[in-house]
Amino acid sequence: MDEKPLLQIDNLHAAVEDRAILNGVNLDVRPGTVHAIMGPNGSGKSTLAQVLAGRDTYAVTGGSVRYRGMDLLDMEPEERAREGLFLAFQYPVEIPGVNNAYLLKAALNAQRASNGREQVDAFEFMKLIKDKMELMRISKDFLNRSVNEGFSGGEKKRNEILQMLVLEPTLAVLDETDSGLDVDALKVVATGINSLRHPERAAVLVTHYERLLELVVPDYVHVLSEGRIVKSGDQQLARTLDERGYDWLRDGTGGP
Amino acid sequence: MNTAELRAAFDASLDRLAGSDDSRAARRHAMAAFARHGFPTRRDEDWKYTDLKPILTGCFDPLPGPASEDRRQLTSDRLSSLELTPDAPQLVFLDGRRLADEDSRALPRGVEISDQHTAWQRIRSIQTDGQFREYPLTAVNTAFSPDCTLIRVGANVDVSQPMHLVYLDDAGANSAAQARLLIDLGANSRLCVVQHFAARDGGWTNSVTQASQEPGSELTLYRLQEHAEKHFHTELLDVRLARDAAARLGYVDLGGHLVRNDLRVRLAEPGASCDISGVFLAARGQHVDNHTRIDHIAPHTTSNEAFRGIVGDRGRGVFNGKVVVHAGAQGTDASQSSDNLLLSGRGEVDTKPELEIYTDDVKCAHGATVGELDAEQLFYLRSRGMDEETARGLLIFAFANDLLSRIELPELRRRVVTAVAGHLPDYEHWGGLL
Repeated sequence: MDEKPLLQIDNLHAAVEDRAILNGVNLDVRPGTVHAIMGPNGSGKSTLAQVLAGRDTYAVTGGSVRYRGMDLLDMEPEERAREGLFLAFQYPVEIPGVNNAYLLKAALNAQRASNGREQVDAFEFMKLIKDKMELMRISKDFLNRSVNEGFSGGEKKRNEILQMLVLEPTLAVLDETDSGLDVDALKVVATGINSLRHPERAAVLVTHYERLLELVVPDYVHVLSEGRIVKSGDQQLARTLDERGYDWLRDGTGGP
Repeated sequence: MNTAELRAAFDASLDRLAGSDDSRAARRHAMAAFARHGFPTRRDEDWKYTDLKPILTGCFDPLPGPASEDRRQLTSDRLSSLELTPDAPQLVFLDGRRLADEDSRALPRGVEISDQHTAWQRIRSIQTDGQFREYPLTAVNTAFSPDCTLIRVGANVDVSQPMHLVYLDDAGANSAAQARLLIDLGANSRLCVVQHFAARDGGWTNSVTQASQEPGSELTLYRLQEHAEKHFHTELLDVRLARDAAARLGYVDLGGHLVRNDLRVRLAEPGASCDISGVFLAARGQHVDNHTRIDHIAPHTTSNEAFRGIVGDRGRGVFNGKVVVHAGAQGTDASQSSDNLLLSGRGEVDTKPELEIYTDDVKCAHGATVGELDAEQLFYLRSRGMDEETARGLLIFAFANDLLSRIELPELRRRVVTAVAGHLPDYEHWGGLL
């Protein structure tokens, strides 16, 4: 395991309106690995995901994040995206008046432009997304609908994964993509995530529940509590958490 | 031009104005009513935010003579560029006058255009002092309108093709075009009209359109205003609906320097309904005022009204939306919204909903917003790799497109979407996505 980490989070601190939320997160993500980040509500999981994607409502107050050798925190959200970082939103945003085809094409072409590749035309675009839409069980009329507008919770999450499949990110950060999904939708989403597993790519799954991790088996499981990773392990840790909850971590050792 | 000067111009030109006895009587009535109150000023509540001074400081010829051959030639050249579809019947108005010989295509079956005699008879029979008091510019239009076009659709006629009415008010900076249109829809008939205003020069268009809908009829009227940015535009659209009649009205304002759109809808009998939407852009000193009044006169009538404004640097948007639910109009369902994007600190938006309710058992909702782009939406698009300018441009477009996508005529929708997009910031960054 001497390969360089894709993502290297070092003592990351972040706050919103002077309230500290991340209090020194350390995490290395190597290519080809899937990391799960679990933790109780309010532990800072979503904040971590949003900070990685560049949401400016959070102020980074300390630490550093390196991504593919670059200073991630110094990059605009769109630069991060073009360099292969993808955030699947916990609450995908509705954008009435922008249809899904515009968004997908714009996202794809922005990434291609930054990689010096040719833009896709309408024909190639359709060819490219057809199988992915089938995999996500998304029908064709969806392309002309406004982004996430009037979508059910499950449709929104499948749409996030579709975008991810189109963009083929080097690092995918999925923020509670499993929440609010029924068993069938969860399987579809898991299939999508697994289809991207690749020795050169990595994923960080932020989740509250263990059930997604039965379908997308992680290499590492970390527990975030009060803005710090307090315990790391493998899938067995997720199962233990599912059985016993999070309290034993605090009661038992009082810390990492 | 003040009231006395207008009166003098009227006295001097009455003989030149085409006319039957009804026409003369209607014009005299209008002028007399107008002279009592004169041009509205900002002291009038209905004109609080819109000052006609920029129009009136000019010396307008309220009645331009018939256009020269040269101009008519230019006009026909331009028409092809404004064509909606190769086969939609087109009526052409030049300086407020209809050019009957430019009606290049046959009228759809069941549609008839009445003679002037009948049209003025109609005008005379419906006009009142009260109407002129409330809409003084309608009196000016009546006094000076060179002619009046009355479109009639017989009972049970479903006109499948849209009618495209093109207004080329290009007589010049010192001229006024007083276009007058009447639409009569017979019972259970259906018609779609596109009014397309596209003056290329300064000048003043003062249009009046009155529609009367018999029971069960459906009117769709789209009004696209793409005047040059130094043109002045004022208008009244007045629609009266009988039992179970439905009107769908769509406004798009892209051009003009000072624009004042008055809309009055009377839901006069049970079951009548109207759906109104409007999108406007205002920047670079443009002023756009949408002033609407919807009367729920009968029970179980429905109105739905949504206006959206995009206001940029030195732009000014005004919305005044009055909904009156009359005594006895129980079961009324009225909703109204006015949403505005203010893109510059040097823009201004005044929005004023007014509800007057004189009965119980009604459902009325209204909302007004003036804001900037949504930060969450912006972040979402950027997180997908779009640069900030592209994302902002696309979101501004989306704000308008959300209403424009409701335009049912595909040719018109495409045309309008392209025209609106072309007026928005950073189009070159995101326009290719459409």
